[in-house]
Amino acid sequence: MENLNEVEILIVEDNVDDAEMALRALKQNKLANKVKVVGDGEEALNFIFAKGKYQARRREAKPRIILLDLKLPKVDGLEVLREIKSNEDTKVIPVIILTSSREETDMIDSYRLGVNSYIVKPVDFEKFVEAIRELGLYWLLLNQQP
Amino acid sequence: MSLAFIRNLKFITVVCFLFIPVLVLSGQMEDAGVLPDTITKITIASEPDYPPHCFVDKDGNAAGFAVEIFLAAADAAGLEVEIKTGVWSKIKNDLAEGRIDALPFVGRTPEREQLFDFTFSYMSLHGAVFIHRRTKDIKSLDDLKDKEVVVMKGDNAEEFVRRYEVSEKIFTTNTYEEAFKRLANREYDALITQRVTGITLVDELGLRNIYPLEFYLPRFRQDFCFAVKEGNDQLLSRLNEGLSIIIANDRYDEIRLKWFGPVEKEVVSVRDVIRIGMFILLPLIFISAVLLTVILRREIRRRTAKLNKEIEEHKRTTEVLRRQNLFLIEMEKLSKTGSWERLPGLHESKWTSGTYEIYGVSPESFDPSDYEKVMSFYEGKDREILDKAVKKLLQTGDPYSLELKLNSDDGEQKWVATRGMAEMRGGRVSRIFGNIIDITESKHINRQLKELTAALEQKVSERTAELQEKIEKLDKSQKAMLYMVEDLNNVTSDLKKERAKLEASNRELEAFSYSVSHDLRAPLRSINGFSTFLLEDYYDKLDDEGKRLLSVIQKNAKKMDGLINDMLRLSRVARTDLHKADVDMYSLVKGVYNEVATDEEKEEFELIINDLPKAECDPSLIKQVWQNLIGNALKYSAKSDKKRIVIGSDKKNDETEYYVKDHGAGFDPKYVDKLYGVFKRLHREDEFEGTGVGLAIVQRVILRHGGAVSASGKINGGATFAFTLPVE
Repeated sequence: MENLNEVEILIVEDNVDDAEMALRALKQNKLANKVKVVGDGEEALNFIFAKGKYQARRREAKPRIILLDLKLPKVDGLEVLREIKSNEDTKVIPVIILTSSREETDMIDSYRLGVNSYIVKPVDFEKFVEAIRELGLYWLLLNQQP
Repeated sequence: MSLAFIRNLKFITVVCFLFIPVLVLSGQMEDAGVLPDTITKITIASEPDYPPHCFVDKDGNAAGFAVEIFLAAADAAGLEVEIKTGVWSKIKNDLAEGRIDALPFVGRTPEREQLFDFTFSYMSLHGAVFIHRRTKDIKSLDDLKDKEVVVMKGDNAEEFVRRYEVSEKIFTTNTYEEAFKRLANREYDALITQRVTGITLVDELGLRNIYPLEFYLPRFRQDFCFAVKEGNDQLLSRLNEGLSIIIANDRYDEIRLKWFGPVEKEVVSVRDVIRIGMFILLPLIFISAVLLTVILRREIRRRTAKLNKEIEEHKRTTEVLRRQNLFLIEMEKLSKTGSWERLPGLHESKWTSGTYEIYGVSPESFDPSDYEKVMSFYEGKDREILDKAVKKLLQTGDPYSLELKLNSDDGEQKWVATRGMAEMRGGRVSRIFGNIIDITESKHINRQLKELTAALEQKVSERTAELQEKIEKLDKSQKAMLYMVEDLNNVTSDLKKERAKLEASNRELEAFSYSVSHDLRAPLRSINGFSTFLLEDYYDKLDDEGKRLLSVIQKNAKKMDGLINDMLRLSRVARTDLHKADVDMYSLVKGVYNEVATDEEKEEFELIINDLPKAECDPSLIKQVWQNLIGNALKYSAKSDKKRIVIGSDKKNDETEYYVKDHGAGFDPKYVDKLYGVFKRLHREDEFEGTGVGLAIVQRVILRHGGAVSASGKINGGATFAFTLPVE
């Protein structure tokens, strides 16, 4: 996964275990080929907007989908979401919030900022795999680039 | 001279009329002085040719002094008068024969008194001596003896001078006019005629040198009266009365002044006085004698009556005194009082019955004059004191007042109050007296009173102390109340602080909940997820026991996830705002049942939904309540034969009770209090699954709506869970 310009799925997740589970779930759904995992909000933004250590990356090579955890170090998930959705280039990228929170305010804030979908990370891994599969298929099909 | 007489006349008349009522009253002269008022109108006759007394004026009416006097007197007596005129001889006959009632001017003579009755005289005509002013030596009648005196021939005056030999040289003229003219020429020394006639003539002739001497000629006079027919007493009385009145009220004098003018001063001679005195005094003396007799007799009667009255009075007084003495005795007995008196020198004493009573002796057997014996009733110091006081009283008159003990003769010891005082005469004690009162009872009462007072004072002080105590207590409780208020203020401010704290901890709780949902779940997910990976990736290498252990790890991880979820739900109920709306409970309950119950359950269970009134509540929260209650009913009926759920309501005052009744496992009623507690469960996990949060959520929701929850049931006897909601 060295070609950063070919990244189709960007996972923003600070918990490595969760990230691993997400990757595994994607893998079980045959979606793990072009996945990039970043550990905090700042890195996520740098990647998306080709800044910092991702300067070399082509900015136009946008990820097809972003799985975004809300609770992140440095820059908070909602802030990341706001940045993505307030930028003309990036706002078309589907963002799926991946969180363990069922808190109402989180959901409301996310939808207000233009989130595309919302997955509460279940404890039961099987259910998680199922949810990823359903979402991933749908969005990837929908955003099939010509 | 004539005026003096008239004045006397006036006096006599007034005196007589004053006496008349006295005589009448005394009853001695019943017939006298009765004046009938029957006559009202009379007729009189007057002469035409006797001026100025009686004449006819220019208009032909009767006039003159006498006529006017008559009219005035008649008017005063209340008589109406008609006057005729006629010559003297005719009218005299008219009266004698009763053709007229009276004549106004008749000289009183013995011959005439045979025919007429006369009133008293109101006019006397007197003679006077006229002389020339230059004649100085004639002062009295006696001085005329050797003087030449002229009179009219045939006149009364000639009769008078000759009868009484007034002078030795008497001359006469035919008329008085001639006589006066000659006197004026000093041909004679003196002239004698009637005074009024003389004065009139002197005036007419203008003889200024001629004047009458003032002395009185007692034997040369004629009295004129009103005359009535003899025996006409009624009219005579009335005319006398009328005359008296006009003399008394000065009408007579006015008329007289009008006709004759003011008269000169007159001299009354001693003889005249005596004569008049005889006339007046004798009848007066007689009348007085009669009066005096009458008065004396009456006085005697009056005195006798008075004496009788005094005797009567005395008797009465004696009786009153007797009764008062009885009262006194009675009074002394009642008040246990007595009086005493003693003459100086201790010789003689008198006691009242009350005093005897107090000493317990009888008046018959005891002599109070015996000083030593009296003293023997007292003992010791009391005796000394009394003896000293009595002796001092006798010497100096200093009064005493003592309270002593007395041993009375009947063997009783008494307390007495005795007082003594003195009557002084000429600086010495003439008598001592006083009283004695038996005060034994009042002493006794006094003692009792003192005791009572002491007891009362004791009580009062006790009560005062009690009251003081109560006041102090009150004071304390007031202070306590103040402290309480202070505390309350402190509590209020504490509460404010607590509230702030609570708000802060609420915020913390929120943060905690947030963190729980994220951070607590992440490791769970990993535990579950990685044990799944282990099972998947190393399935062949694990034996059955290894696989079972992994599945236990997974089951617990899931259970913990359930617990965390329920806890978050519970905290959300407490934190979210209430959004009330009209909720159709029936359709809500139906919807919840369909949602909660599985298809198998719907097959197995009999559901009865009774009448459920609408409610004002938060739909999503109330939905959770129904979810929990219906879910529980299904869950705990799973192992029962009877699968029946009844949902209904009862109306209570101002709230509605909703209930869910099942025939499931029920519960032990002694744990009913634990039912609604968080994580409290009455059943084992392997019997019925659950976290113990459902009913806690129900209770929180209902409490937030202002209602209450309750439950009833017994082991294997089913359960009924109910909640109330206030009716808005």
